[in-house]
Amino acid sequence: MSVPEIGQSLPRTEDERFLTGQGNYIDDINLDGQAHAVVVRSTHAHARINAIDVAQALALDGVLLVVTPDDWKKEGFGPMPTKTAIRKGKNDMDLAEPPRHCLAMDKVRYVGEPVALVVAETAAIAIEAAELVDIDYVSLDVVVDPKKALIDGAPQLWDDIANNLCLDFELGDAAATQAAFDKADHVVTLEVFNNRVTAVPIEPRGAVASYSPETDSYLLYNATQNVHANRDTFAESVLGIEKEKLHHIAPDVGGGFGVKNGAYPEPPLILYASKRLGRAVKWINTRSESFVGDTHGRGQDSTVELALNKDGKFIALRTTTIGAIGAFCWTVGPFTPTGGSARTQGGPYGFEAMYYQAKAVFTNTHPMDPYRGAGRPEGSFQIERVVEKAARELGFDPVELRRLNLIPRDALPLKTPMGLDVDCGDFPEVFERTLKLSDRAGFDARLAASREKRLRRGFAIAPYLECTGGGPKEFAGVTFVENGTVDLAVGSQSTGMGHETAMPQILAANLGLPFDDIRYHQADTDKTPIGGGHGGSRNLEVGGSAVLQAAGEVIEKGKVLAAHIFETTPEKITFEDGAFAEPGTNHSMTMREIIDASFDPLTLPDGMEPGGLNVGSTFERGIISVPNGCHAAEVEVDPETGKINIDGYWVVDDFGTIINPMLADGQVMGGVAQGIGQALMEEAYYEEDTGQLVTGSLIDYALPRADDIPNMVLAFYEDAPTAKNPLGVKGAGEAGCCGAPPAVVNAVLDALKDYGIENISMPLTPEKVWRAIHAKG
Amino acid sequence: MYDFKFHNPDSLAAALESCSQAEDGQFMAGGQTMIPVMKQRLSMPSDVIDLGSVEDLKGISVADGVVSIGAMTTHALVAADGDVQRAIPVLAALAGGIGDPHVRNRGTLGGSIANNDPAADYPAALLALGANVHTDRRQIAADDFFTGMFETALEEGELAIRVDFPVPKAAGYAKFGNPASRYAMVGVFVSQGSDGVRVAVTGAAPCVFRISEMEKALSNNFSPAAIKDMTVPAADLNNDIHASAEYRAHLIGVMAARAVGDAILREGAA
Repeated sequence: MSVPEIGQSLPRTEDERFLTGQGNYIDDINLDGQAHAVVVRSTHAHARINAIDVAQALALDGVLLVVTPDDWKKEGFGPMPTKTAIRKGKNDMDLAEPPRHCLAMDKVRYVGEPVALVVAETAAIAIEAAELVDIDYVSLDVVVDPKKALIDGAPQLWDDIANNLCLDFELGDAAATQAAFDKADHVVTLEVFNNRVTAVPIEPRGAVASYSPETDSYLLYNATQNVHANRDTFAESVLGIEKEKLHHIAPDVGGGFGVKNGAYPEPPLILYASKRLGRAVKWINTRSESFVGDTHGRGQDSTVELALNKDGKFIALRTTTIGAIGAFCWTVGPFTPTGGSARTQGGPYGFEAMYYQAKAVFTNTHPMDPYRGAGRPEGSFQIERVVEKAARELGFDPVELRRLNLIPRDALPLKTPMGLDVDCGDFPEVFERTLKLSDRAGFDARLAASREKRLRRGFAIAPYLECTGGGPKEFAGVTFVENGTVDLAVGSQSTGMGHETAMPQILAANLGLPFDDIRYHQADTDKTPIGGGHGGSRNLEVGGSAVLQAAGEVIEKGKVLAAHIFETTPEKITFEDGAFAEPGTNHSMTMREIIDASFDPLTLPDGMEPGGLNVGSTFERGIISVPNGCHAAEVEVDPETGKINIDGYWVVDDFGTIINPMLADGQVMGGVAQGIGQALMEEAYYEEDTGQLVTGSLIDYALPRADDIPNMVLAFYEDAPTAKNPLGVKGAGEAGCCGAPPAVVNAVLDALKDYGIENISMPLTPEKVWRAIHAKG
Repeated sequence: MYDFKFHNPDSLAAALESCSQAEDGQFMAGGQTMIPVMKQRLSMPSDVIDLGSVEDLKGISVADGVVSIGAMTTHALVAADGDVQRAIPVLAALAGGIGDPHVRNRGTLGGSIANNDPAADYPAALLALGANVHTDRRQIAADDFFTGMFETALEEGELAIRVDFPVPKAAGYAKFGNPASRYAMVGVFVSQGSDGVRVAVTGAAPCVFRISEMEKALSNNFSPAAIKDMTVPAADLNNDIHASAEYRAHLIGVMAARAVGDAILREGAA
């Protein structure tokens, strides 16, 4: 294969492995002599544990061990701390963080909470034994609605945390915002509900652990998105061992979307079991367990207030949110409704002042953690919904009102009232391109055709402003092997997005090497000294930049070697088109020739060892990038049934430099699909009185299928690479989720505008739409 | 899954014998409901008698105004069968709309009707077409076959052999799928045959049922207009997170009208 280029749609090299059953997923990992573990999960949403009787389970033939909370106490294992960046609230209030142990201590607080772990010779025996673990529960009152959890007299999850309040957060200037509201000609207010969803990655979570008494160290294979951070938590916080004693590897991971970011209780449980039993232990979650055992996302109730002057210019925005975080803080759970949703408030529109406040609240539900976008899709939904309402209520054209308020290109760079550093882009241009793409001129004909079929048709446009996140540092190691292979190891992690293609593409393009020379390594704590894993659309801007930086360092070393061979000085050496040369002479060697020379001791300069081109490079991001773009949707609604059909979908994204357009398209499509799922179908629904998860399987949790997702027309605006990182990229991974829910919901409301419907809360199920049309409460 | 004894008989007699010998035997057709239920440890038969090798239970024949389908005939085969497509086109279409390709290639007519899931498609077809279920010991009219939620007139150890569908003059089906499972949230099958019009509803109640008022109205005038504004009481209908009883009642009217439209369209095309 030839040398690839940046901007080339290189096909995904990993797909042959994935699509032919050659992937190496967690359930493909089997260690010699492994036992099998099953988690005993709480069937109660809130209960005191009176007693746990494991006698019957232990008596079953083939059962090896039942780990209970008493074992955990006896061992003195610690809780798993939250790593949220937001730890302070109003008036310097500290985040309330209850201890999160791997097993429920004395009380259970959500359905699915691990209470014990059964280990047996086979998975079948472990399942049977798990049913024999007899837990005596005393039921307690349950609260699943965060608004009700805040009220005096509500069931209390934690004795020392009043009113279930984890954090009362604020950002922005309250007084300036109030002053702007006071002088405004119009104030438009909207209650917005952002439904609780869960990611449902195609591969459920699982792990395989073993312990070596010879070295007193552990090996853990785990379907996680972040081997380094979770290793630290498991080793240092829970087991109380040095992190070097735990070798943590993620094999191929079948989807994450944030749900595999955090530290879960099962891996430390099987690490402990493997040491106690002296044999490897494997645990694989079922799909049903995943619904009650994986983190959920979104779940915010917000009041959004928009202040405008009489000609429609936005002046100020104020958002007040109550965000459910479930029974614990989990890994970064409290961040999402607070800092996560605060930063991109107001989207790509100009404001004089903004104020955001949010309460993060404990409830008897599975804890929340990031789900694709982690707060930004909620923010995007808030602003676009209130803008749509303002247009309708005040008689503005929704397109015109947006056009009027988009931040103009020449206003950049700027810092938003939320402190977000917006360096570059052209929001009006992206908006106009989206309008053009969506064929507004043909709308009337399509509307007439829909009417013929007794269907309603609507359109909406939804510009969005995003920002990236995740760990700011990333490592890239380049190791040259004498057989010609180049090993590239990076601490970020793909869970299916195509890093195995994009990252070698960056290295190969910059070193002038064929793509096939490079072998990619990731998600192994022994292969990179640090690693930030996956999350916050961080890979290209942090990991990709580390690769670019490492390539630069290889070239500098190559110049030293070339200069030695050419008998000149490194400053005189150039590197262009994959070759080192000394201008003005006929001295020239390709990268491959220099690599080969680096293994010949006779050609090396003093101080360079054979294989001396190897580098290990750490890149640190300064400021997060600000991806932005615009979505548009056209929908048909059947007023007889309330059924919605998305008939057209268009997106223009500004992700800065596009490394691999096909991979970027894939990110947008996946994000849009999940956004549509949230808008129309998905909801993790808990029964109010019992705290039981009603949508506990795919029979009831409405996950979109291929035919629920429309064809999309995608384009990129590539004229504004960011200077915040050397690649010029802006994260692409979560943007689709930001644009799709408001575009789809506003298009449905546009289709139904004759009925005077102000709001329908997500998901817009057929029955909700039908009720709204027929004004049935 | 609990342990069980597995039998793979190759004749009807052997299958019936295996079941009668078993302590708590259960026939397995396509297994598309039975296996997931067993995997969830919600059922624990002592013996599973797989009917997959009993050739006598498979096959389709059309003669003398009757479409006869063996109990072990898969949905995919019914959907693709040219004779069924010509005789009762909507029956082939209904079979082609059950579940997904995986389910259609394993799931069978006999398994579906014996399970009598309240949201399954086939019960509506049998009831509206006035089909007859032939078992190893008798013949049961569809009106008597479906007796309640997951309950049928089949006795212990009794096995459905085939179903005979009289060919109607016109027939149509309209299904509103559950967004999550895609089972019928409301499915209405309408047929106009020699003994009048029959309207059967699945998905909406604990068991498939007929609507006599609509049948009367359609007997006088077989058109969607005849049942316009006709409602059914919501009281006995299913009520869940996907659809309230009130919404289901409304959908029955909409789907019935669409099923009539479908029947007229198909008749016109024939």
